Amino acid sequence: MSDSVVEQKRPNQPPFPLEPAEFAELYQTHSRAVYYLALRYLGDPQKAEDATHDVFLKVYRKLNEFRGESSLRTWLYRITINHCHNLRQSWHNRNLVTNADEAVWENTAARGDSPFRVLEIKELGERIQKALDGLTDEYRLLLLLVADKEMSYNEVATLTGQSADAVRGKLHRARKAFAVLFQQSESEVKT
Amino acid sequence: MKRQTKLTSQEQEQLSETQSQQTSAREFASAEEMLREDASQTVVPPAIAERLSQSIQNEPRPERSWWKRLLGS
Repeated sequence: MSDSVVEQKRPNQPPFPLEPAEFAELYQTHSRAVYYLALRYLGDPQKAEDATHDVFLKVYRKLNEFRGESSLRTWLYRITINHCHNLRQSWHNRNLVTNADEAVWENTAARGDSPFRVLEIKELGERIQKALDGLTDEYRLLLLLVADKEMSYNEVATLTGQSADAVRGKLHRARKAFAVLFQQSESEVKT
Repeated sequence: MKRQTKLTSQEQEQLSETQSQQTSAREFASAEEMLREDASQTVVPPAIAERLSQSIQNEPRPERSWWKRLLGS
């Protein structure tokens, strides 16, 4: 189901919950985005699978709470981010990156504006994951959200609780850090 | 001088390796572009839909919405 179908239902206080076929369409439309965010944010395919299941079950239960004040994609991402964030907190995961690391990135001759090259497209996912794993949760999330063409800077800002200008500033640093880590991942994947 | 047109087997091997690298190598202008490509290649495990379907079947029947109760439908 596309957002428009949900929003068509919204104005007249819709007959939520959705019919099974409608919910299946909603899942079909958004499951890849939700799964991908969970996969790259958590860095574990099995946990991402569980998270995607749990997120859509929550969506099924709470769809009547969707007010249509944001896009359906944004609302789904909000549930996904909260769910993944809770999972990471419960695992006592620690950020691998410190401010010192950030200073290193700032001083590195990073190729933030240079193209990213991968020789083998099959290694792309592995190298991306390695690079993302080295970022702070916030940087990782910002990059993943902005990469979704359906998301505007303002929507990303709302989702992450900051201004659009703050998002732009942090994205600049996130891209730079990612570029350095992605470059490093080349040798790690080959070894 | 007659131009050599046939490649030795070693040259053919090298050429084939180069062509293979050319077809699989990719360049991305930005991190976001690369992430989008990665996302487009990501397959959602079919097991999720099966589990979800099972879980939804086990959910209690939702209450009728207020407008349905109002209309008596």
